[in-house]
This record gives sequence, C-alpha cells and structure tokens, in this order.
Amino acid sequence: MNANSTFDTIALAGELDIARRDEVRQALRIDGPGSGILVDFSEVVYADSTVIAQLLRFYNDAGELKRRVAVLIVAPQLIRLLQYAGLSEIFPLFTERSAALNYLSEVGDKS
Amino acid sequence: MASELRIKHVATVECAKLLRHALSSFLNVLDMDPTSRDDIVTAAGEALVNALEHAYTGQELGTVELYAQENGSEGVSIIVSDNGSFIVRDHTPGRGFGLPIVHAIAKTVSIETDKGTRVKMMFDAPNRTPSVQIVNEGDTSGNV
Repeated sequence: MNANSTFDTIALAGELDIARRDEVRQALRIDGPGSGILVDFSEVVYADSTVIAQLLRFYNDAGELKRRVAVLIVAPQLIRLLQYAGLSEIFPLFTERSAALNYLSEVGDKS
Repeated sequence: MASELRIKHVATVECAKLLRHALSSFLNVLDMDPTSRDDIVTAAGEALVNALEHAYTGQELGTVELYAQENGSEGVSIIVSDNGSFIVRDHTPGRGFGLPIVHAIAKTVSIETDKGTRVKMMFDAPNRTPSVQIVNEGDTSGNV
C-alpha cells in the first residue's frame, strides 16, 4: 500500500485470476484505521470471480474501519464481470482517475 | 464445417491463463467482436476456476479440458471438463460468484457430474467485426 498525502493506493496490474489469488489477498489487506483508499485496477486487463471475492471482503473490512474506498477500473471485461455478478452497484466504481480522486477528496473534506 | 479447439492440461491454477489465451485466439480467428469474445472467455474462465479450485481437492491432481466449437448460425459451444468432484455451491460468504456469472453470459448452461464434471455453455453466433473493404482502383462503387 503506497501512502499519499490524503489517501492510500493499492495498485495491481495484468491478469488477476486464480493463480494470483494469494497475491491479491495480500495486496487487498487493511491494517487499521486511516484515510481513504484508492484501489487502482487501471492496469488490470482481466479478472475472474476469485478477485471479486477478495474485493468484496476488502470493501467490507474497510467499511468496518470507516475507511472509504474508490475502485478505479478501465478494462471493459472487469466492468462487465462486476455487472454479471450483480455487484456493480456495490462498489464506488470509477473509470477515470480524476473522478476517483475527487471522490476520495470529497470524503476527506467531510470527515 | 465446424471450427474446433481442444486442449487438455494438468489442472494447475497456472493453466487457466494458458487456456483462456488459447480460447481468445481461437475466437479471434473467427473474427468475433471483442465484447462477445471477452464475455465467452470470462464464462469459460469461471468454469475453469471451478474445476481448478474444487475438482481435485483431497485427491491426486488430474486434468482439465477445454473444448470449443463454432458451428455457423448455431453459435459457439464451450465445454470445460474434468475427472474430479463437483461442488454445487460454495457457502463461504462472498464466494460462489462463478456459476451465476456463467449463467449471466451464456445462452444455455448444462452441467453433467457423471465421472467428473462437464460444464457445457452455448453462446449466440458471433457478431463479426466489420471487415475492411478493398476497393478496386478506379471503382468507386465500393464493390470488391
């Protein structure tokens, strides 16, 4: 997790599938309370449902710690995967970095 | 005449990527539009995850097979099969998305669990990507 002045960033890239499940689990980990978190999947070109499960766990963990999360995704495959899983309305999803950062900044201003 | 792809591989988690890429290349040869191609690869990927994650739990590692067939107007059929055990549903919270995703994408899905697991998915005939028209020199009609 890379610290930023106002939020933390977790970035993963490439194809996130069952072979990388442990790596994704390690990356999507929250140590404690803190600022908002940008989950940067802008370089992810493919994901399967094992990633969805990890993302859902991460999002729930963040919620329990009152940490806001913005998920940046660009790949159409990943966007549709979340839609097919019925989860596209669950996560704060953004296809543009500026919008995701604005969302986290607004959250930070309110807190 | 039907176009076919058949790959059998030891059921290691690393083979999922290999099989997906092979399927994607096969669908590219059929000039399938990227959205349909990616959706079919996604559905096949979920069937593969199910096989690789559950089929050989607690037993000797076997193989997984991916079979794809394109048959004109009948569409594309994909079969993912293994010789292991089938898990109907993962009751762990936050899991069990795989088969619902397959059902959301495929036109029909059938699962046979005799002597292993065989997931057969049918997809609509592919939308072809527009091919480039070559206009003969001096011919402005657009006909080749």
